[in-house]
This record gives sequence, C-alpha cells and structure tokens, in this order.
Amino acid sequence: MAPVPDPAAPSPDPSASTAPSASPSASAPAPAADRTAPDGAPLLVMTGITKSFPGVRALDGVDLDVEPGEVHCLLGQNGAGKSTLIKVLAGAHRPDGGEIRWRGEPVQLTSPTAAMSLGVATIYQELDLVEHLSVTENVHLGHEPAAGGFVRRREARESTAVILARLGHPEIDPDTLVHDLSAAGRQVVSMARALSHDVRLIVMDEPSAVLDPDEVENLFRIVGDLTADGVAVVYISHRLEEIRRIGDRVTVLKDGRVAARGLPARTTPTRQVVALMTGRDVEYVFPERPAAPDPGAVPEPVLRVEGLARAGEFEPVDLEVRPGEIVGLAGLVGSGRSEILETVFGARRPTAGRVLVGGRPVRPGDVIAAVRAGVGLAPEERKAQGLLMLEPVVRNVSVSSLARFSRGGWLDRARERSAAREAVRELSLRPDDPDVPVRTLSGGNQQKVVLARWLLRGCKVLLLDEPTRGVDIGARAELYALIRRLADEGVAVLLVSSELPEVLGLADRVLVLREGRVVHTAPARELDEHRVLDLVMEGSPAR
Amino acid sequence: MTTGATSGPAVPQPSPPTAAGPAGNGPHPPETTKDPAGPGKPGGPGGGPGKGPARRVPAALTDLRNLSLLGVLVALVVVGAITRPEQFLSGDNLTLVLTQASVIGVVTVGVTLVIIGGGIDLSVGAIVALASVWATTLATQEYGLGGILFCALFVGLGCGLVNGVLIAYGRMVPFIATLAMLASARGLALLISDGRTQVVSVDSVLQLGLPDSYVLGIPPLVLVFAAVTLLGWLVLNRTTFGRRTVAVGGNAEAARLAGIDVKRQRLKLYLISGLCCGIAAFLLIVLTGSGQNTNGNLYELDAIAAAIIGGTLLSGGRGTITGSVLGVLVFTTITNLFALNNLQSDVQQIAKGAIIVAAVLIQNRTARGSGTT
Amino acid sequence: MTPPLPSRRGLIFGGAAVSAGALLTSCTSNESNEKGPAQAGGGAADDKPGKAVTVGFAGPQADHGWLNAINEQARARAKEYEDVTLEITEGSNDTAQQIGQIETLINKKVDVLVILPADGKALTQIGLKAMRAGIPVVNLDRVFDSQQAYRCWIGGDNYGMGLNAGRFIGERLKDKKNAKVVELAGIDNLELTRQRTEGFDDALKNYPNIKKVARQAAEFTVESGQAKMAQLLQAQSSFDALWNHDDDQGVGAERAIKQAGRDEFFMVGGAGSKHAMDAIKADNSVLKATVLYPPTMAASAIDLARALGQGKGVGGLAEHEIPASLTLYSAVVTKDNVDEYLPTGFS
Repeated sequence: MAPVPDPAAPSPDPSASTAPSASPSASAPAPAADRTAPDGAPLLVMTGITKSFPGVRALDGVDLDVEPGEVHCLLGQNGAGKSTLIKVLAGAHRPDGGEIRWRGEPVQLTSPTAAMSLGVATIYQELDLVEHLSVTENVHLGHEPAAGGFVRRREARESTAVILARLGHPEIDPDTLVHDLSAAGRQVVSMARALSHDVRLIVMDEPSAVLDPDEVENLFRIVGDLTADGVAVVYISHRLEEIRRIGDRVTVLKDGRVAARGLPARTTPTRQVVALMTGRDVEYVFPERPAAPDPGAVPEPVLRVEGLARAGEFEPVDLEVRPGEIVGLAGLVGSGRSEILETVFGARRPTAGRVLVGGRPVRPGDVIAAVRAGVGLAPEERKAQGLLMLEPVVRNVSVSSLARFSRGGWLDRARERSAAREAVRELSLRPDDPDVPVRTLSGGNQQKVVLARWLLRGCKVLLLDEPTRGVDIGARAELYALIRRLADEGVAVLLVSSELPEVLGLADRVLVLREGRVVHTAPARELDEHRVLDLVMEGSPAR
Repeated sequence: MTTGATSGPAVPQPSPPTAAGPAGNGPHPPETTKDPAGPGKPGGPGGGPGKGPARRVPAALTDLRNLSLLGVLVALVVVGAITRPEQFLSGDNLTLVLTQASVIGVVTVGVTLVIIGGGIDLSVGAIVALASVWATTLATQEYGLGGILFCALFVGLGCGLVNGVLIAYGRMVPFIATLAMLASARGLALLISDGRTQVVSVDSVLQLGLPDSYVLGIPPLVLVFAAVTLLGWLVLNRTTFGRRTVAVGGNAEAARLAGIDVKRQRLKLYLISGLCCGIAAFLLIVLTGSGQNTNGNLYELDAIAAAIIGGTLLSGGRGTITGSVLGVLVFTTITNLFALNNLQSDVQQIAKGAIIVAAVLIQNRTARGSGTT
Repeated sequence: MTPPLPSRRGLIFGGAAVSAGALLTSCTSNESNEKGPAQAGGGAADDKPGKAVTVGFAGPQADHGWLNAINEQARARAKEYEDVTLEITEGSNDTAQQIGQIETLINKKVDVLVILPADGKALTQIGLKAMRAGIPVVNLDRVFDSQQAYRCWIGGDNYGMGLNAGRFIGERLKDKKNAKVVELAGIDNLELTRQRTEGFDDALKNYPNIKKVARQAAEFTVESGQAKMAQLLQAQSSFDALWNHDDDQGVGAERAIKQAGRDEFFMVGGAGSKHAMDAIKADNSVLKATVLYPPTMAASAIDLARALGQGKGVGGLAEHEIPASLTLYSAVVTKDNVDEYLPTGFS
C-alpha cells in the first residue's frame, strides 16, 4: 500500500559504491564531469564514511565527491546526516570508517586545523564568531598577521576591507563589533574568514536561511565568483529553487546513507528530488487501518484545537482528533508542523487560540497542565528532550507517573518496577530488561521507552514528533504497528513526520501544511505522495 | 533498491562501549541464554551485544565509586593506626571525628541534593554564618533553646527560599544567585554581630554539646548528622521528590516535557539546602557555644569537594548521599590524622589537595574499568 | 522531603512565615542591659580644647572582635575631644579598596591620618603619598615598609606577646619535671602569628624542663578554635599548659576543653577580650591568664593624631616632639590584676 518513490530515481548500490569514480551515478550523467581538474583527480572524494553515536548510526557508508569549481548541493531531511558529514569534512568529528582523498591523496582530517590547512572552510548555520571582537579580529582569528608577537593591526584591517569588498559588502566597517551586526552581516564576516585562508573548498550550511531575498542574490553572486576562481562549494539548503539556480550536482542523503549521488542540479525533476528526500526505499509495512467507523457511533473528539496560532511560526489552525484516530501533519521543514505540536503540548505559549482535551480547555503554555489533562509528547530530539540518558529504562518510563506509585511522596518501588516492566514488555523492548541504561538502547528502542512512559501514564492524546527519526529500518515497522495499536486502544494520535509515506501510510487523516498554514485536509486514503508534494510545494517555497 | 540491500547490515547495533565491561564484573555467561528474541530476529535492535554487561553498569558504577572512596578512608585509617596507634583508634577519637564531621556533613547532604538536581549552592557557608549569628543575638537568646533552634532553622529556610525563588522563578543562574546570597548573607551576619563573638549563655544549649547529654555514648550532634544523612538518603532514593530531582538534574528539558514541575523542584531543592544550613548552624552553635560571622568559612567549597569526590556529577543527574558523606568523613579524618601527628597547616593543605586529586583519579580509573565511556 | 503543598496549606505556611519573619527581625537586636563599649584606660591626654583637628581614620573590615574594638576605641576617644572631628572610612580588607578610601581622605585634606592597613607592606605607597602631601600619618599596629611613610607608629608587640606568655607559663611550671606545653596558634600565613610563636619559643628556651609537644594553627574564629583544640586534646592525652594566641578562637577552644572534660592544665589566652577577663576573674575554668594586645592603642593613636595636628608633645614626656614609634607592652592579665584591665576588655 505504501507508495514507492519514483522508480526513475537513481539507485546506487551502497555496497558497490566504493569506487571513487569521478563520474556521478549511472542514471544521471553529470554535466559537471568536464569540470574535472586537469590532472584528472577530483578535489575531494569521501568513500564509505561511517560515524556512529551511542544509539544511532549517523553516517552509514556515505560517499561524496566534489570537483574543483563546482557547486555541489547536499540535500536531506533533518537528521539525514548532513551535519555529521560536514563536521567530518571540517575535522570536527572523526569518522569511524571510510576514506577521504584530497586531490587524489588520502588524508586524515584529525582536527579543524588540519581541515583548514588543506583549504577546507566551513560556514556553519550557527555561526562560530566571537561576538565581542571586531570584524577584523574575527576574520583573522587564529592567524593574525603579526610581527614579533604583535598583531599588525593596519594590515589586518586593510586585508579585511579588501575581502569584504570582494564579498560585495564594502559598507561593513572592519572595526565594528560582530555583536552589532545583523545576521546577514555576520554571515558575510564568516565567509570573509573563510576567504582569508587559502581556501579550496567552502562548505555552506543553509547560508540563505538567515538572509533577505536581495541578500540571497548577493550570496549567489559570491558563490559564482568563487567557483569562477576554481573554488568548490558544498552547498546545503532546503530550498530547491536555490539549488536549481546555482547548483551543479546534487547528492541526497537519507538516514545516514546516500539516496542519490551526483544528480544534475538543474534538470532533475523537483518531484524526484523531494521523493528521494522524503521517500522510502523499502516497502513500508503499515498496519491495517481499522474499518471506517460507523457514522452513527463516531466518538467525540478528545483533542480539539481551536484557532491556535503563534505569531511568526504558524497561522491559526483548527483540528480535531478522535479516540482511535491518527492524524498526520505533513509539510516541509519550516512549515510549522513541530511548532504546532509543541504548542498543543504547552511547551510553547500560543499567541492565540486554545486547546481542549476531553472538552475542557487546557491552560495554554503549561506542560504540566497538558500532562495532567492526559496529553503526552514524544519529542523530536529524543535524547535532548525526551530521555534521561544516564538513567535506566524503568526510571525513564515511570518518570511521568511517579505520583501513581507513591503514597505521601514515598515511592513504592516494587510497584513502580512491575508496572514499568509490564509497559516495557507490552512494547516488546529489546533487551527486555528495565534496568539497562537507556543510553545503550538503539534509537527504535529508545523511542519505545518514550512511548511506554505515556502508555504507563495512561494518556488520552499522544503527540508524536518524528517518531522514527534515527530509527533503524527494521525497527520502524514495529513502531508503526505499536502506534496503530495504541490508537486502537483508544488513544488519539497526532503525528508529525518528514517522511510523506509515513504520514500517508500511518495516519487516518492528513493536514498538509505550507509555510505555517494548513492548505489542505483530507483522509489519508484520498491522498497520495504526488498530490501532497504538489500541495506542500505549490507556488514553490520561494520567499 | 531492495529491502535486502538496506536491511543487509542486519542493523548492526552500534554496540555500546559497555561491551568492554564485563571484565570488572566477574564472569558473564554468554547472553544468548537470556535473550529469547535472540539472533532469530535480525531486525531486533538493541538485542545482542550490548545487553548482558549493560545491566549491571549503573549499580556497579556507583558502588565502585563509593568503594574506591571507602578504600581511601581505610588507607587513612591504616596510616592513623600505624602513626598514632593509641590515640587514633580510640573510641573517643571516633566520636571526635564524627562530631567534627557533623556540621559540614549536614551542609553537604543539602548541597549534594542541589547538585544532583542540576544546581549549585555557593551560599551555604554564609547562610550558616548568618543563621548562627542571628540565632545567638541577645534578643534571640532570651527565648532559650527553642528560640535559638527555631531562629537558626528559619533563617536557613528563608535564605534557601530567596535562592530558590531567584533561580527557579527569576531565572537567575544558580552560580550567580547563590554568589549574591553568599555576599549579602555574610554582610548581614557582620552587620548583626558587629564582628563580635556572640557567646551563648543559654545552659540547655551549651549542655547539648557536653558529654553529659551523650545518648549511649553518642553525641547528639552525631545523631542529628546520622538522621539528616538517613533522611537525605531516603528522600533521594525512596521518594518521588528524589526521583524528580535526578530527572531535573539529568535533563531538565526532558523532565519538563515529561510533565515535571521543574521550577518548583528547583525551589524545593534550595529550600532543603537552606534548611540543612539552618540545622548545621544550630549544631555549630552547640559545638562552639557561640555564634560568629566568620562561621562556616569556605563550607561551600568543602561541601562541593566532598560531593564531587563522593561521585556526584557536577553537571547534575547523578550522585549519592552515601558517597558525599564518605567524602566528608575522608576530609575530617585527614584533618584529624594530621592534627594527631602535629603536622602544620601548610602540609595539611597540600595533602588535602593531593588527596582530592588522587580520589578523583582513582574513581575515574575504576569507572573506566567498569566500562563507561 | 516536602510533598507538594496545596495552596490552602501554602497560605497558612505563608502566614506563619511572615509572622516568623517579624519575630526574627526583632531577634537581630544585640542591645543588652550591660554597659556597652569599653572605655580606654587612661584619661584623655590633654583635655584643654585647642585648634580644631580633622582626623581621618582608615582600618580594615571589622569582622573580628579585636578590630571592632579598635574602631570603637577610636570613635569613643575622638568623641571625648571637642576639637577633634573624626572622618572614619568603611573598613576594607581589600588593599586596592583601602588605598582608594585613604586617597579620598587625602583629597578631603584631613589634618592627620590614622591608618591601620589591611596589609602594611602593600599600603606603604599610600602612606608615602599622604606624607608628601603634608598630612602626618599615624601608623597603627601593622607597620608600613618605610619609615618615611609615617610620622609615628604605635602598635602592639607580637613577639613580646609570645615572650610574655612563654615567661608566664615558664614561671608557673619551672619546678615541674618534663612539663608539656601545647600551642594553639592563629592564622599561619600571617606574619604576626609567626612572631608570636617565635617569642613564645624563645621564652620557653629558658626553661629546659618544659617541652612544647604540639602546635596547631586555627583561624582566629571560634569554629576553628573548637575544631583544632578538640584535635589537640585528642592528640595529647595529658599536658600542663596551653597558650592560645587569640581570645576569640579561645571561646571555641574552651568549649572543646569542656566537651573533652579536661582540666589537668592551665590556659593562657591572647589579645584580652572581655569574655576572657571575666573568666579569669571568675577563676572557674582552665583559663588563668591572657596576654594583652590592647585595642586601646587606637585611642592612643587618636591622642597622637590630635597632638600632631595641634603641634603639641605627649604629656608626661620631656620631649617636645611626638616619638617616632611607640611599642605597647603586652601585659599579662591574671586574677590578681584583672580588675585593672577589665574596662579595656573588648567583646
């Protein structure tokens, strides 16, 4: 039943992609091939890069090759492994396995300095500038022009001015404090810092996210200048139209693997690119939806959201979820889906509207009130927001229900334990042991612990934000079945996922979001991936 | 793009480093016997390698930390027994060490809870000073034993309340808020006492510190210390409050999203710390028969040091009362040992620093040996 | 420990807290029916009013009984003279801050400065500066590094204090074989502590039958006095005499002695607090004597400052000029002469 991504999509076999071929994947001959450096060796070839963190495999055999003077775009959902990959490239993470060749020579990027000395500069999304130093000082930080230990201030200042002019921002005074600059200005400084080195490859992590349209134009011009000089750019963005304008080739990451490599940036159909990012390369096994309920016996909605809005994040939204129903929110990153979920939970304070659970309004912006009313959230960042990583499973499960196992504040640990054990067993956690530290579990099992927490609490409304993020493929089907089973037991589920097939396969009803607005609502069976893609991209996400 | 290709790696669970652990934990049977899901299900994430050893890590870890500290304590006792056999091992000396440990010990219990809850309290010494001074003014002494006790406890609680409100609801960084409390409580103590030593003339209070009021040979101070330790242990390990403290300290955001009232939790933690300071101030009044604004000098550092060598994580989320109390006992024993051997302050301070470093190094080593990252 | 309080109970609790607070604030009072600050021993130097003199006084933070007494003695003495105006600064233990305070006094053009530096060496420069500005400086107790930094120094004798304590103990024990003595010192990293110990040791050298068996350093606080004394008592199962450098920490030491139930030795104190003198007079504890380090020196410093300001000499001396330095005698106060010194005891 699950839609399978466009079969036209290139399908590099991960196990066979070790050859550091400069030519992109077979199905998409790259126009960039003729840009290869005269000596024939590409600038950078990364092969079979792997990197694991406790509980999750962030990179699983990723390949990337970059030619001099090209703009190589890196696409992927949050958590696909882009950040980890560029951190490996910047020398900030050491890969567990794989090989990196720089102009044909194998290299070890053991530290940011090592990467820098090769000529790799990275402009992070969260800019790494020292706020209370001047522009000049930031640009030359760590490699100040100096004589006898004294910084040659005038020289530093002048070279900074030259670089700023080259970047099209001669108006930035090299003596201003970075603290006083706008976000765009800071980005220019960050770029100037990269250019103050002898740079061969610049990695830009969503550089346009903080820019106004005319500033984006300037950014494109800079990128054009750089590539004309033979500098390669690895460009990360969610905005497809940007990639069309300046990109040469596209590599799509998904779940720590390469979904497609070296696609021509200008000619690959948008739908194909999005399908690669959101789609699924295995047959999903989604549980059966229950038969449509008898119209006469439709239960009252347990969750009702009325005109809920947060200025700047999402516009007033109305929705209802009945017991036993799974409602999905579909949309691209930045469409406001996670924000809606967190506002319903009270983790963010709405600027308008209200949330009712079981017909009763819940105090806005108050997580405790929401939990008391019977709402539970499995947050997007499981480790940072969901789990007590140092604690064993049992304590992670019982943490929301402690009052149930206590009298006058004293814990009945035996009862706590047996209840947690019960909940854990019901979700077939592996290992089936409530005493293991939760940090040793896999992503899927960690997610089960979060679900067990709310199961134990007996919540009526379950909010799931990216429930299968970082979860291994095999474990997903199990989670899907679990979520459906919870719904069948009468829980109302509101689901957010970057993966369209997941939303379409799991949810009963889908709300499609675009730029903070609900643009369409329909039963899931009336939608397919193409239709949703059209909806989320209608008018293109140009800004 | 087949199912086979992607599930091919058979979900190689990034086997957590605990796999290296069992060496320290005695023999481990192959885990297959315990895993019914076993190798049969390739999709079974988290099964297999990580399992067996992982189970025992948390318990073993804390035990080992405390054990290594206990080792340090035993080593000190051995040194004491060799250098000054007659005095060191006597019952009197044991009573002395415990009495000297009781004031800072009570403070340390409160501080440990605060640190486990993800905070820090730098104001404990100053609160002890303020409470001891406030409770020994001539005006307070007119109310006798009850007045002094009540006053000490309430001043402690009041300071804790201010700390807690500033931190939990005023969103101040604990370091800064309690630093401010440190300064102002010391200042207020100086203001009230005018720098004078306020000698207590209430007989019932003085009597509590003398051998006549020992219960079965145990000074009341030591009994209070024991009671506070026991209560602290129970609160941390047997109550919802303790559980929530660990949760808030381990991951405040996760605790908030799990429906815990993080702010109220923090407030209560500083209240407890303040109350402990009040109790300690009363003990100090009994011990010294006076109140002075210089009391509690550097208690904050001693208490934090004791908690840290006792295995409490300075960033919160993990720690034990037992460890902290052992830490206090180690420090008190060192002082005792040095005084008995007539070593001078300079040597004492150097050795104290060295022992902190040694204790923490030993712990890190044993912790690593038991298989944590 | 505290279960979540329902709001109703919270209210009651709050009410209790408020009333408790009110009760507590009333408890900060230290007024007693007894007579307050001690008066300086001798009468004022020259009661006839003369030229009006403004005296600037800068001392360390009065966080200790003795220092507190210094401030009080200075204030009380100045009040006795109609012609003396006292400009007294907020005390500070911070060198930089004290320098700032003294500079302010210089800028105010006071006639004479009385300075008790937090750290004598570190404040030498400011003494020089004042002298160069034509303001005579009376250096109180902690001496400046250069004689040019003060016109007159008046202070106690730390070495002499140890010497007199040692002599007193030596005389009482000179006929006892293998007599054992214990020393409870003050803060070890202060020079004055080392001087006191040196004097004490030098005095004991005259008595070959007496041996100092143990020494521990406390911190001039009651708490440390109690703790260190308790350890000393444990370490030495029997001894004959104890010298404690400081009567404030002596409060703690006496407490430890009482708690250990020991009385086979006698104790000599230091500095001369009222509490100690009362105990000596009552003669019901081990404390039999204390060696003075008289805070009355502050009153004398005011006398000297006034005399300097008015261009007079010191009454009772033949000299036309004020002496360049005055070292005070560390008298031993015992039961026999305690009444004489009781008024100078500080609390």
